[in-house]
Amino acid sequence: MELFLMTLVTGIMVGGIYALIALGWVVIYKCSGVLNLAMGELTLIGAYLTWWIYGSGIPFILCVFLTIIIGIILGIVTERIFLDRLIGQPLLSVIMVTVGLSFFFRGTAMFIWGPSTKTFHPAVFPQEPIHVGMLSITPVFFWSFLVVIALLIALVAFFKYTRWGLSMQATADDETAALSLGVSVRFVYAASWSIAFITAGIGGALLANINGLNITISHMGLIVLPAVIFGGLNSIPGAIVGGIVIGILENMTGTYLTQLVPGGIKTIVPFIFLVVFMMFKPYGLWGWERIERV
Amino acid sequence: MSRVWLPCGHYHETYAKDQGWWQTPVIKFKMLLLLGIVLLGVPLLLPGYWIGVCTMIGYTAMGALGVQLLIGYTELITLGHGAFIAVGAYTSTMLVLHFPWPQSLVDLGLAYPLSIVAAGFIAGIWCVIFGLPTARVKGFYFILTTIAAQFITVDLVLTQYVSKIGGRAQSIKIPSEAIKIGPWTMTGDVKPYLLMAVLLILMVMVTANLLRTKRGRAWMAIRDNDIAASTMGISVFYHKLLVFFVAGAMAGVAGAFWVSNTSAMSPEHFPWFLSLKLVGVILIGGFGSIHGAIFGAAFWVLVGEFLQMGVLPLAEYWPNVLMSFTFLKTAVFGLIICAFLNLEPHGLAYRWWQIKNYFNLWPFSY
Repeated sequence: MELFLMTLVTGIMVGGIYALIALGWVVIYKCSGVLNLAMGELTLIGAYLTWWIYGSGIPFILCVFLTIIIGIILGIVTERIFLDRLIGQPLLSVIMVTVGLSFFFRGTAMFIWGPSTKTFHPAVFPQEPIHVGMLSITPVFFWSFLVVIALLIALVAFFKYTRWGLSMQATADDETAALSLGVSVRFVYAASWSIAFITAGIGGALLANINGLNITISHMGLIVLPAVIFGGLNSIPGAIVGGIVIGILENMTGTYLTQLVPGGIKTIVPFIFLVVFMMFKPYGLWGWERIERV
Repeated sequence: MSRVWLPCGHYHETYAKDQGWWQTPVIKFKMLLLLGIVLLGVPLLLPGYWIGVCTMIGYTAMGALGVQLLIGYTELITLGHGAFIAVGAYTSTMLVLHFPWPQSLVDLGLAYPLSIVAAGFIAGIWCVIFGLPTARVKGFYFILTTIAAQFITVDLVLTQYVSKIGGRAQSIKIPSEAIKIGPWTMTGDVKPYLLMAVLLILMVMVTANLLRTKRGRAWMAIRDNDIAASTMGISVFYHKLLVFFVAGAMAGVAGAFWVSNTSAMSPEHFPWFLSLKLVGVILIGGFGSIHGAIFGAAFWVLVGEFLQMGVLPLAEYWPNVLMSFTFLKTAVFGLIICAFLNLEPHGLAYRWWQIKNYFNLWPFSY
């Protein structure tokens, strides 16, 4: 029972990070219709940037803040150079541009920082577990979860109450109508990429603190694909729920199934689960069903 | 992209001629010349290293042909085709090494050719299994199942189970004397190259012929609009499964070919990167054209080679370059893909089509 609860809590906390990255993914999809396969690499870049800045002795919070600023700039630049001309092109072109971007980011990050595993030194979070009732939680998970919750609330508030957030919602709803009402759609696209870079960067920095920093972080970023599909492509609550469910699923498998099946099952199970799940709900939990006509 | 314009003075009088392989005698002559170059010119004239490069081009093109069928002709976007190449490669390896062949077949050198056929068949079936969700799932939701195919096949089934058959090591050593076709053992540069050339030519012929049949036209109808296709009486699901089978079988044959070109089989030969690379190849080559797949493969492999040649002199001053050359290559290819999509979205095949038309219609190109 205690093991079960521990696994559940860890799952929810890791799932929180996935939810954050998935949110960044959904924001891009909703605003500009771009299916972003480079999310794993954005996570990678964010994680490496934070580690790199942290290496020069700046406090962690400030590092994350700097990563956010660099992320915003990178997001705008990426959107302007590579994606601006592809809006409205067929699905495949837009996907392939993000695949190209993912090659580029991965290659560049590995070329600069090398393939060996890096750790944050000195450790950012204390090592002693925190005791809550009968559970003991590793501080990394605990703090990550707090950060993620705060960010999720901030992002949702951003969409609901600020002018920029509202203009992004308007664009997601109907691009032409938003244009005619004076919303700068180009700004919205750039902003959505910036948000994706921010969420991926913070998620990457937190994941790097949990597992150490190497190329596998980009696989962690890939896990968001099952998460967003589970929730439905264009649903922000779906992304959050999906992230947490995938996190729980992954950790439950890690605890209970790894003894039965040789290693590696932990990262694959979300995909197997999703393939079966989609047979029953092809549009995820809350995705819009597309009505197609000839 | 429609057909090439014929030179002045050539007209087709029957539909059969319109669909014919050789549109004019000149084209027939050019194609036979190309065949001669591929089968005789390259192995006789090029040095061994470049024959190896040509073999790589052929291997990439074989994999890309299946992807071209799926993406370019039926618009089923697949990002996991490397998995089926892996299935073919492992089927062939396992059959050659562990199947109790009758001694007479082994002596005749038929074990490996038969395993190629079996590899194609099993990879095709495996591909159909992952194609089943197309009954309900579309668009990006479907892309996820192809990604899942990659991870389930390579990272779970092959790495954790199949690789452990007959030993504890990750990679399976392939003794070169086991890979035999008739009296020839697949060693050196030339023999794998010739095998590749024969297989690639066969696959191109099969693809080109399939596209001229009812099935091929049904695939293209599904690509253009699947609902319209189903209202015209095309069974969309059946044809999608059929194209999955054909594409998977091609990947399987490509994988079985890879057995003759490597000395040890390991799941690391088939990362997700390979699947993405195949899509990149047909993107550079151009969607919906068979020679696009070959152009794209040639472009991809040759750019990699030239990049390596360009980087080598730099190594003296900056040794890090060589160590992380693969990463540099990845980054450059990422940029190339983005550039192609932005600047030349129809790919190399479109450029080739324009060049051919220019010469066919010269001097009156209006």
